[in-house]
Amino acid sequence: MKDMDKVAHRLAFLEGASFSPEDLESIVKEIEDNERIVGELEEFSQGTPWISLQAQPHEKKA
Amino acid sequence: MVPNDICELNLTDLSWLIAARELSSVEAVNAALTRLERLEGKLNAFITVLYEEARAEAKKVDEEIARGNNRGPLHGIPVTIKDMFETAGVLTTGGSKILQDWVPETDSALVERLRRAGAIIIGKTNLDEFGHGGTSTLSHFGPVHNPWDIQRIAGGSSGGSAAAVAARIGMLSYGTETGSSVRRPASYCGITGFKPTFGIISRHGSFRGAWSQDHVGLFARSVKDIALGLDPVAGFDARDPASVHQETPEYAARLNANVKGLKIGVLGKFLEGVDSTVKQAFDAALKVLAGVGCEIIDFDVPEVRYAAMTSMMTSSAESAGINRRWFRERYQDFVPHVARGIAVGMAITASEYLTVQRARHRIREALRAAYEKTDIIASPTTARVAPLLSEGLKGSGDDTRHASYNQSNLLRFPSMLGLPGCSLPIGISQEGMPIGMQLIGSWFADQTVLNAALAYQSTTDWHTRGPVLGNP
Repeated sequence: MKDMDKVAHRLAFLEGASFSPEDLESIVKEIEDNERIVGELEEFSQGTPWISLQAQPHEKKA
Repeated sequence: MVPNDICELNLTDLSWLIAARELSSVEAVNAALTRLERLEGKLNAFITVLYEEARAEAKKVDEEIARGNNRGPLHGIPVTIKDMFETAGVLTTGGSKILQDWVPETDSALVERLRRAGAIIIGKTNLDEFGHGGTSTLSHFGPVHNPWDIQRIAGGSSGGSAAAVAARIGMLSYGTETGSSVRRPASYCGITGFKPTFGIISRHGSFRGAWSQDHVGLFARSVKDIALGLDPVAGFDARDPASVHQETPEYAARLNANVKGLKIGVLGKFLEGVDSTVKQAFDAALKVLAGVGCEIIDFDVPEVRYAAMTSMMTSSAESAGINRRWFRERYQDFVPHVARGIAVGMAITASEYLTVQRARHRIREALRAAYEKTDIIASPTTARVAPLLSEGLKGSGDDTRHASYNQSNLLRFPSMLGLPGCSLPIGISQEGMPIGMQLIGSWFADQTVLNAALAYQSTTDWHTRGPVLGNP
């Protein structure tokens, strides 16, 4: 229950889908681990420019 | 010519025989369908088989050829396509219960171009649901079995396509790749698989796994056949926002096995966890490439340690976005593992996704610098041969959750960055399973990759070997 409380704000994104307790446990675990992954990638990408897509159409040539 | 002999022909020879009217397209299609009927019970490689439609098409092709109209190398050739491609009037399921009854009204761009080339689609192949997986066991229609050992996986998500080609059912198969879904099953099934640069083949009318990483690719028994299958389907399509303008593709005509001086980079630190028999086969393959004049260079790109994580998080978030509506309305109809994966992706925030893309950009710049030092990056395609079905989803040993010198990163970075890649067979393990090597080129260096693969296949015969299954 404690783990689910920690990620309750994320579980709200699941739009009411109700998984079994076992499935929910596995989802929660992975969500928490994803937080660790994002932290590492944030560290790794320090100093790298943010990506921006061009809004205007442009020719792409091979 | 008996049907099994027809199935053993290469594409060039079959194409010539049909054009010369020494063999009919009807005979070629019937041979493929006969073989399919004999083996499909063991492989489960197909979701839909187009018996009558394919025979009717083949008859029309023969009449057209008799009138002197030949459309090119694929005219009258039996091919298969992954059930990710919309096919007008034909069940198109994505391997999912959600679309188990869906029949589109229009063709995908791939199917349009195959029809224009006169190819005969004989079936839609089985896959991981909507491309979510690396095993082809996550299908509503049951798992695909590897033709080399039906107790093993074919790999995914394009496992049905790879299994079909390996089992000599159809000369070519077209699949898709988001993480490794062409290269991995090609390696596991002992065939040649090619994923071109992002944007070379239109994805219009195919289901999206993760839009910024999805590619269309193809499988064949040799790189010569790959090139023949690539030419008719490559080319700009305004309906796919990722499509690129290019000259008329002539990959087959420009094949050249003279690769003297080509630089082949090896990221050796990433190979330490690779199975010893796979490593031995790879080392032997490097010697072959050196023997044909390539320069082998050892170097490191430490940023690639983050590739698998970055690719995985990108796919997770994008596939959640793509599947959001179905998830909201009928998540229970997804394969359970896929539903759980989408749920996890739904929980990734926009700012986290953008952070992941920043990391992706850093890796891309590191590879851009690397390709100034080398023409190709080579590695074993997978760290081990196809695992047993009983080993489940973890059987491949892939790690997409830790930054490390794990081979999984080499498997994931090409699709994440849109680089052209070819997996080709380089040996057989002690268990009798195929081993593959991947050659990854820089952006739009597709011809270089194909030429390097041709140089290897011109001096070896691993690509001519096939599974015992179904052979007389």
